[in-house]
Amino acid sequence: MTVAAFAIEAACLTLGRFSLRAIDLALDAGEIMVLLGPNGAGKSVCLEMIAGFHRPTSGRILIHGREVTDFPPERRRVGLVFQNFGLFPHFTVAGNVSLGLHARRRAGRAQARRGVGELLAQFGIAHLSGRYPQDLSPGEKQRVALARALAARPDLFLFDEPFSALDARTRDALRDELKTFLRQSSAPAIFVSHDQTDAALLADRVAIMNRGAILQVGAVPEIFRKPVNAFVAEFTGMENILAGRVLGQCGDLWRVQVADTVLYAQGDDLAGNDASLCIRAEEVGLSVADGEGSPGLHGATNRLAGRVTDTISLGVISRVTVDCGFVLVAYLTNRNMRELGLSPGREVVAEIEAASIHLLRPDAADRIAVSEERQSDGAVPIPQPWRWAAKSRV
Amino acid sequence: MRKAPARPNGVVLAFWLIGNLLLAFILAPLIGLATMQSPGNIARVAAMPDVRLAIGLSLLAAFLTTVWAALLGVPLAYGLARTDFRGKEIVAAIVDLPLAVPHTVAGIALLIVFGRQGWIGGPAGEFLGLRFWGTLAGVVVGMLFVSAPYAVNAARIGFEAVDPRLEKVARTLGMGPWRVLADVTLPLAWRSIMTGLTLTYARAISEFAAVAILAYYPMTAPVKIYELFLQSGLDEASGMALLLLVVSLALFILFRHIARRGDVFAGVGR
Repeated sequence: MTVAAFAIEAACLTLGRFSLRAIDLALDAGEIMVLLGPNGAGKSVCLEMIAGFHRPTSGRILIHGREVTDFPPERRRVGLVFQNFGLFPHFTVAGNVSLGLHARRRAGRAQARRGVGELLAQFGIAHLSGRYPQDLSPGEKQRVALARALAARPDLFLFDEPFSALDARTRDALRDELKTFLRQSSAPAIFVSHDQTDAALLADRVAIMNRGAILQVGAVPEIFRKPVNAFVAEFTGMENILAGRVLGQCGDLWRVQVADTVLYAQGDDLAGNDASLCIRAEEVGLSVADGEGSPGLHGATNRLAGRVTDTISLGVISRVTVDCGFVLVAYLTNRNMRELGLSPGREVVAEIEAASIHLLRPDAADRIAVSEERQSDGAVPIPQPWRWAAKSRV
Repeated sequence: MRKAPARPNGVVLAFWLIGNLLLAFILAPLIGLATMQSPGNIARVAAMPDVRLAIGLSLLAAFLTTVWAALLGVPLAYGLARTDFRGKEIVAAIVDLPLAVPHTVAGIALLIVFGRQGWIGGPAGEFLGLRFWGTLAGVVVGMLFVSAPYAVNAARIGFEAVDPRLEKVARTLGMGPWRVLADVTLPLAWRSIMTGLTLTYARAISEFAAVAILAYYPMTAPVKIYELFLQSGLDEASGMALLLLVVSLALFILFRHIARRGDVFAGVGR
């Protein structure tokens, strides 16, 4: 059996009223995992537990095969990058980097200076050596933060929403650069975010977290198309979550009643049970009704008759709402929109492949609106009566 | 980088006019004190040995007070800034208490505890030979009681302004908690700590009542001024007062200079 580059096994932690429940994760060398969840899910607490700032009440943490559960942060060999990159404002760029070098390697002065020079050159920031952090651009700050972390030779990189204070364009550029850096590194990385774009563009795998528990771990397409429960579906922006009832089997497909319509879907055996049907909006095809082809199953494709009720341009794509007896949201390219001439009132045919419909056992306990969890990440939780109100409602 | 000066608006101008009244109110007595002096009078007062002794004692005692306030107050400030616990506000209120107690009351309370029969004064005298009633130690105790809140509060604000995430990053870079304190937290809070200690020093020098009750002798400058006022009248008292003002002012300018130099050592470029 190969040893994971990083593993956290059944780690539990209680902080006041907040608790992390049986956190289990394992990363291979060089792997990038994005820990995704709403504010207050416990992502930052989890990251700080891995870094050594909170001691788990049970479970183990292994970094590069060493058990570090009882180690203080300075002995764990993790590189930590925070929002705004956490550079020391009272040290120059060179000073920031040499701090990492000194502290871990106990290098001599001359050796340290050479080491700093090499690192700065590697990140293309040698010319910034004497500058202070407040005079750097976000991109330069990121490079300094990475150089400083690398100086301490970490076995694991941890990122806590480093981009959350940046504008979209800067964020995109820095994300690309970070990904290139992490691709070359053998140390795995955990990246905490509440932004799905970070997950989609950075992650080898994503872990979805809510209320102190990891709900699902998997590659991005899997999580986005096959969420394990309604919370993951809602949080990852599943546009269509339809309430239905599984009637029975038909070949390898399930017949599901949704409003007055029968849809065919793939999935687990939920015969006779209520189910939620998850359909991503980009999997819904629309064409103009021309009287040909009746609604129903055609091959493995569901065909539905409906009427457009709303269209919104989102820039590159448009969002079309169709009434098929139930509300269905579809994404179309602007070109498609023009060609089909879609506008409210238009009769259309919606096509959905059975394989694109994901059946979900409705689980009330996890149906929590994202907005209900507003507690800020990381901080020691302070008593908040509404948290209990939110819990008692489900 | 300096901000471009904002265009003054009516509110700012009006408020400056009002604010100048307060400035004048503060400055007027001091100017009065300075202008009523003849150079001869100041020279005569300055030549009096017990006046020099009293000013010297005030400076020394205030310095010792500031050292103690730093040694005891900065750790308390760090604790208050970095931990949350039930009753934290009560602790903070206790720190502020000396600001609200009349200093005559403070002096009497200190006398009860630090006097020859007191909880602290008794054992200290018996085992350490340390007496507070009428000694330099007593002067320092009186000064420390009334001036410590300034050291604690300013340092606490300074520590609270240091992002705990910077300390966390430093830990992951391999620095132990004491090293993080020395290399990250203290340098970043330095300016606030020095501001607090300057205020402590100022408050210590100016204390009269608590010191006079606990340690009338050896006479500090404020006590000596009071005595001159009672015995020799306004001339000598105001001469010595001006002398004390000038010496204090010179010291504060020096302090600010040291504080700023400390910042430069820590490498803050502004």
